[in-house]
Amino acid sequence: MKKMIGWIDRRFPLTSFVKHELTEYPTPRNLSYWWNFGSLAGVVLVIQIITGIFLAMHYKADAAMAFDSVEHIMRDVNYGWLIRYMHSTGATAFFAVIFIHMARTLYYGSYRAPRELMWWTGQVLLLLLMATAFMGYLLPWGQMSYWGAQVITNLFGTVPFLGDELVVWLRGDFVVGDATLTRFFALHYLVPFIIVGAVLVHLVALHSVKSSNPSGINLADKDNIPFHPYFTVKDLFGLCVFLAIYSYFVFYNPNLFIEADNYIPADPMKTPLHIVPEWYFLPFYAILRAVPDLLGGVIAMGISVMIFAAMPYLDRSKIPGGARYRPFYRVMFYVFVIDIIILGYVGAKPPEGALVPLGQVATLLYFGLFALLPFGSKLEEKWLRKRGLPEEVEAMIQSEEKQKEDRRQRKADRRNARR
Amino acid sequence: MIVEMKTLFVAFFFILSGVVNAATGEYPLADVDIGQDEESLKRGAMIYYNLCRMCHNMKYIRYQHLAEIGFDEKEINDLRGDKLASTKFMSTASDENITELYGMVPPDLSVMAKARKKGPQYIYTLLTSYYEKSENIYDNRFFPNIKMPDIFGYSVTMNDAEKLAIENQAKDVTAYLLWASDPRAQERKTLGVYVIGYLFVLSLMFYFVMKRVWSRLDTH
Repeated sequence: MKKMIGWIDRRFPLTSFVKHELTEYPTPRNLSYWWNFGSLAGVVLVIQIITGIFLAMHYKADAAMAFDSVEHIMRDVNYGWLIRYMHSTGATAFFAVIFIHMARTLYYGSYRAPRELMWWTGQVLLLLLMATAFMGYLLPWGQMSYWGAQVITNLFGTVPFLGDELVVWLRGDFVVGDATLTRFFALHYLVPFIIVGAVLVHLVALHSVKSSNPSGINLADKDNIPFHPYFTVKDLFGLCVFLAIYSYFVFYNPNLFIEADNYIPADPMKTPLHIVPEWYFLPFYAILRAVPDLLGGVIAMGISVMIFAAMPYLDRSKIPGGARYRPFYRVMFYVFVIDIIILGYVGAKPPEGALVPLGQVATLLYFGLFALLPFGSKLEEKWLRKRGLPEEVEAMIQSEEKQKEDRRQRKADRRNARR
Repeated sequence: MIVEMKTLFVAFFFILSGVVNAATGEYPLADVDIGQDEESLKRGAMIYYNLCRMCHNMKYIRYQHLAEIGFDEKEINDLRGDKLASTKFMSTASDENITELYGMVPPDLSVMAKARKKGPQYIYTLLTSYYEKSENIYDNRFFPNIKMPDIFGYSVTMNDAEKLAIENQAKDVTAYLLWASDPRAQERKTLGVYVIGYLFVLSLMFYFVMKRVWSRLDTH
């Protein structure tokens, strides 16, 4: 064994890689369970890919056969019901895990320097995940699949000048049809592997900047512990708890997240009374509907997803630790979470009565919070520093300011020297 | 803070499940429990076979599947006659004839119990909501202007005993449709106990391993 590893090590950095990335990879010892969700997302991705490949072995991407083939999988294929329900519940689990992962990043301010690239690769991953989920939802070819795709592809018609051509180009037909189904299937199979690639980039960035931690302060060496065995076992424990909850839904409530209407085969002649997207799109859907003008709604929806990328610039506070040392930011965080829940509720209901203004107020609040952040964070910083921060936090801010000042000084010197 | 975040998370899913479970129409659904006991399923299957099948297909159900709800080989053979065991349950009427009568092909019933919100309650309520609107004109309170006739004669019952008998028939056929919409449900629920039990034990074991591994840190 030793000889074999030696042979490999002379040709490939196996031992040093394992050492550097696992057995000696320094991880802050104070990480809470909220730091489990990154690895959980990785596991859910693997579950989705594996169950997806097995589903693809029996699924027929053909408008005349798709619905029947899904029922065939659930009735006639050995454990087909298990694979299918794992995959459909897995989509929900994926978004639940990712939303918590994002909420943790926002709460603890983990998106700030030097982790901006982690946050942005994460943003790309979110977009890829949304695209994959949207395309996957068409495949069962039920009423909600069909009309959901019809409504969402229609949104591209609002693009000035090119709109109508763009919609036809996307669908491969004038309405959602067989051509749309086959291309969505092809892409739904492809994009997850692109996600795997993007996850690797996300991880390379992580292993360069290392994990943030609840204190927000870069820990002394003695407070970093090797990833293995401490966090391998912690992640495994978290994984088992997660899988138990996930299994409850797979085995006892698999249709909770599937609209009843989606068990009615797609019918292009019959529009369902009430078209709703999957729960994970509801807040964004509510924002789309809150704007009276369709093009404006599409733009608002796009910004509502993409605005997270601006967080490192919107949050101008130098105080580390995210919401931990920042009462104002903490309040904003909770208001934001509640606002998203309200938007989700509004998105699930028909736009009638008091829900219309409620959705509009919630939308304004959504963007208002982001708009408030640059000023709020700066004011909060000033106020907190006047009141006095914990010593190590103040020291950290000052050293950062000094570094910045030095950099500016050096730049100025160089400029002067050139003259 | 972490406690607060947890509460929020729980609240989030609580609200979410409320959204997902939102009730259906304005007419209240009957609050019935639809069981899956074998006798009821068999009676329900026969009701479908003799009554509903006149108009409704069940294309995902074949004669051979009846074995899964307790029909023995002889019973199945008697039913199918010279048809193959793999013959699908298709309506006895042709599409043309039935379209002439009702203006449409009645929906396939294979997945009906999951194609409506609270499907079993929906089906039961629909079957037991027929009434005599005015003399010799019948309608359905739950589904006004429904095209389907009152196949059990619920609207013309004379007394409570007859009503009860029809309600029981409606329960039986609903039980059968519920089974047909997801024939692997029982297998799923049985397997779930083992899977979740296994994960629970494994979680506990990992928890103790974790405690043990992490305790090394405190001694240094």
